[in-house]
Amino acid sequence: MEYGRKWMDKLSVEQVKIELLHTAYGNSDIFFAKLDPRTLFIWYSYFGITPWFLHNEYILLGMLLFMLVTTYFAKISPLIMLILSLGLLGQGGSLLIIALFFGGNWATLMPLFILTVKLMVISLASITVFCSMNPTQLSNGLLKIGVPGQVSFSIAYGYRMLPTLVEEYHHVFQSFRLRGKAPEKRGFLYIRTISYFVKLAVMSFYPLLLSTAKRARTTVEALETKGSMYGFNHPEVKKLKLKTLKMKKRDYLFLIASFLYVVLLFVYFY
Amino acid sequence: MSNLENRFILTQSQKMMVFILSMSLYGLSNMITELVPEFYIGPIELSVEYFAFIPLTLCILFHPLYAAIGASLGEVIFGEIMLGQFGGFGELEKFIAFSLAMYVAGTLVRDPKNKLQVGIAAMVGIIIHQAISAIVDILKVWVGVEELEAVPGLAESIVAIEGFYFLNDVLFSGILFALLPTVYLVPRLYGKIEPLLGMKPRTRDDRYSLKEIVGPRLIVGGILLAAFAFLFEFLSETEFNWEWEADFVEMFGDWFVFISIGVAAFIAIITLVVLSNRKKNNTQKDEKVS
Repeated sequence: MEYGRKWMDKLSVEQVKIELLHTAYGNSDIFFAKLDPRTLFIWYSYFGITPWFLHNEYILLGMLLFMLVTTYFAKISPLIMLILSLGLLGQGGSLLIIALFFGGNWATLMPLFILTVKLMVISLASITVFCSMNPTQLSNGLLKIGVPGQVSFSIAYGYRMLPTLVEEYHHVFQSFRLRGKAPEKRGFLYIRTISYFVKLAVMSFYPLLLSTAKRARTTVEALETKGSMYGFNHPEVKKLKLKTLKMKKRDYLFLIASFLYVVLLFVYFY
Repeated sequence: MSNLENRFILTQSQKMMVFILSMSLYGLSNMITELVPEFYIGPIELSVEYFAFIPLTLCILFHPLYAAIGASLGEVIFGEIMLGQFGGFGELEKFIAFSLAMYVAGTLVRDPKNKLQVGIAAMVGIIIHQAISAIVDILKVWVGVEELEAVPGLAESIVAIEGFYFLNDVLFSGILFALLPTVYLVPRLYGKIEPLLGMKPRTRDDRYSLKEIVGPRLIVGGILLAAFAFLFEFLSETEFNWEWEADFVEMFGDWFVFISIGVAAFIAIITLVVLSNRKKNNTQKDEKVS
C-alpha cells in the first residue's frame, strides 16, 4: 500500500502542471533562446551527426569542450547533466565489464572512451538546443523547415490537454480503487500489491479510451470550424504565421563562430 | 459502395481524430510509465517499458497508419519534449521503428474479434519494434567504434547485452503490457469506440497493405543514407590513418580539411531534406486520399 501511495503522490496533477511549465518556459532569458530556431537546427544538424564519423580523439575532445561551454551558457540544470553522464558512464562501464568477460583486455578501454565522448557530444548538443527553445519556438521552427502543421498543432495540444488527461486518469484510477478490493497479503516481494496496481493502471485505460475518443472528435470539430485544416495545407497561411521568424545578426555570428571553431579544430589536430 | 474491394476510406477529419486520440492516449501512458519505478531481480530488469497495448489496440481498431504515427508522435511530445528530454535525431529512429512496428501489427489483423489474430499481431508488433531498436543500438556501437572486430571482446559483449534486453523486453513487457491487455481490450472496444468518432467499425474486407508506408522514396532514401554511412566508414579507415596522414595533407593541400567538413555538412543537409520530404510525402498522401 505504501508503495502505491508514494506513486500517487508523485502523480498529483498540480505537480505535473508546475513541472511542465517550468521545463517549458523556465529559461527564456538565455542567449540560445534569443536565436532563431533555424540557426539552432543547422547547428544541431552538424554536431548531432558528424561526431559519429570522426575517430580522432583530439577533435572529439575539442568538440566536447565546446559543448560543455554551450551547455554552461544554456543554463542546463546540473541534475540533468549528472543523470546524463552517469547514464553514459554506466553504459560504457557495463560494456567494458562484459567485454572483459569475453576475453577483452585494457585495450578495449580506449575505443569505449572515444565512443562515450562521441555520445556525450551528441547528447549535449541536443540538450543545449532543445532545452533552450520554448514550445512556441520549437513548433514554429519545425513548421518552418517543412514539418507538417499537425506536428506543431500536437505540441500545443499536448501542453493544453495533458493536465486534463492526467486528472481524468487519476479519477478513473481512484474510482477503480474505491470499488475494487486490494489484496490482503502483500505476497512475496510485494508481488500481489504490485500486480494489483499494475492491473488497475492498465484497466483504467478502458474508460479513458472511450472518453478520449469523444474528446478527439470535439477537438477536430473545433479545428474545422476554425479552418485549421485549410491552414495546414496552404503555404500562404504558413507564411503569414511564420513572419516573425527572422535570422538576425547574432544568428549569423553564432554560426560563423561555431564554424570557425570547428575548422580550427580540424586544421590544428589534423 | 459500388466496389466492396475498395479500401475503407476515411475523411481527412476522421484521420485527424484517430491521430489525436492515439497521440494523447499514448502520450499520457508514456508519462505514467516514466513515473512507475523499475524492479530488478539480479540483472533482469522488470520495468514497464511502455504501455504498447494502447497503440496496438488503436492500430487494430482504426486505420493503422494514422494511429501508429499519432502514437509515435505522442511519445515524442509527451514523453520527451514536455519532460525536457528531447533527443533530436535519436528520436527519429525511435519514431520510425515504432510507427513501422505498430503499423505492421495493425495490418496483420483482419478480424478484430478473433483473439488469436489479435494476440499474434500484438506479439509481432513488439518483436519488430524491439528487434529494430536492438539492431540500431548494435549499429551505433559498430559505427561509433573504429574497427570493432579488432577490439577484443567488444563485439560479443554488445551483441550479448542487446540480445538479453531484447528477450527481456519481449518476454516481460511484451506479454504483460502488450499481449494480455490488447487481447482483453480489442474485442471489448470493437464496435463501441468507432461510433464515437463517427465511423463504422472495420470489417473483414478492409485491408491495408505495407505498400502505403514503404514507398520507393523511403527505400531509396534508406539505401542512400546507408551508402553514405559506409562511405564514411571507408574514408575513415583508409585515409584518416595516422601513418601517412602527413603525406596526405601535403599531397592534397589544406583544402582537404574543408572538403571533409563540407561533406559532413552535406550529409547533414541531405538528412534534413530527406526528413522533410518524408513528412511532406505523408501530408501529400493525406490530401490525395481524402
